[in-house]
Amino acid sequence: MMEYVAYALVVFVVLTGIATALLRDVLAAIIVFAAYSLGMALLYTLLLAPDVGLTEAVIGAGVTTILLLLTIVKTVRPGGERTIERFDSRAAVACGALAVVFGLTLPDLPAVGDPNSPILSYDAVTGHYLTQSYAETGVENTVTAVLAAYRGFDTFGEATVVFAAGVAVLVVLQREVFT
Amino acid sequence: MSDADEGSETPPETPADDEDVDAEPETFPSPRRAYTESEVIMSTVRVVTPFVLTFGLYITFHGADSPGGGFQGGALVGVVVLMLAFAFGIDPTRRWLGTKAVTLVASLGLLVFATIGLGSVVLGGAFLEYGLYPLEDAAKYGIEAVEIGGIALIVAGVIMGLFFLTAAGPGGDVE
Repeated sequence: MMEYVAYALVVFVVLTGIATALLRDVLAAIIVFAAYSLGMALLYTLLLAPDVGLTEAVIGAGVTTILLLLTIVKTVRPGGERTIERFDSRAAVACGALAVVFGLTLPDLPAVGDPNSPILSYDAVTGHYLTQSYAETGVENTVTAVLAAYRGFDTFGEATVVFAAGVAVLVVLQREVFT
Repeated sequence: MSDADEGSETPPETPADDEDVDAEPETFPSPRRAYTESEVIMSTVRVVTPFVLTFGLYITFHGADSPGGGFQGGALVGVVVLMLAFAFGIDPTRRWLGTKAVTLVASLGLLVFATIGLGSVVLGGAFLEYGLYPLEDAAKYGIEAVEIGGIALIVAGVIMGLFFLTAAGPGGDVE
């Protein structure tokens, strides 16, 4: 049952992705792109990655949409009656070729949750996290334990990058305060 | 969808209505206004905001024991301010926040994370080696502190900052 929901979501995500690229009206493209992010968030959750799903829902469907909407407010809408962007056959061939190349690698990926997959069978790392993280850190969410303890330095870099992104926008827009 | 459509189709020339009078002078001639007063959006935001804020705080504070954490929860808490600004006007929200709050939140987050991380280096260990702190369950409380006091504050602050910066556009005339 759940796999059919997942297949339906994959179709939805692909269709909204194509629609985002083809829609001529930027506002429509942004709204469809938010729907794409929502589909991805549900898909991540179905694939048992709720932490990633939450991030995709908040950042992808929420914040990105708001920032894009704020940006197009400063632009002018293109006129004309067309709803679909003029089809560029060379770009379509390039995108199609890329999709085919990525698609060809899919059969070689292990099934979701396959115990023989390299990630799960290599116990020295994954097994250690799964069995020892509670004893060693005292938090129940292994993702949090890896994020804030085992890979804490990486996360410090990530958090610093987020902060630096804010500062970079300040510099680009030549402002001294956020608000 | 039609509602969003209407929202962006405000006339290109800025009409001089009353809510524009008390707005800050535009630093940048914008073809459209970012804010449209809409009864639907205001009512929706009024109903939804308490739930989003509660969910965001839950995701932040409960991130160690269930899916979520500082990144997701901080983003949700930041989004609450974005929703308020979208519904009730960007400039009133900007004035309500003042010039220091957002910068303080983001900088405090980075300071907390760096202090906890480098503190264990000062105590003679590795970066973020929680075990060196003389506390019971130091790792658990250290992780909570990094998630709540560090990451969540950074993400919430930067998201609010990006929103108001994008709305304001390029400037250089800072009061």
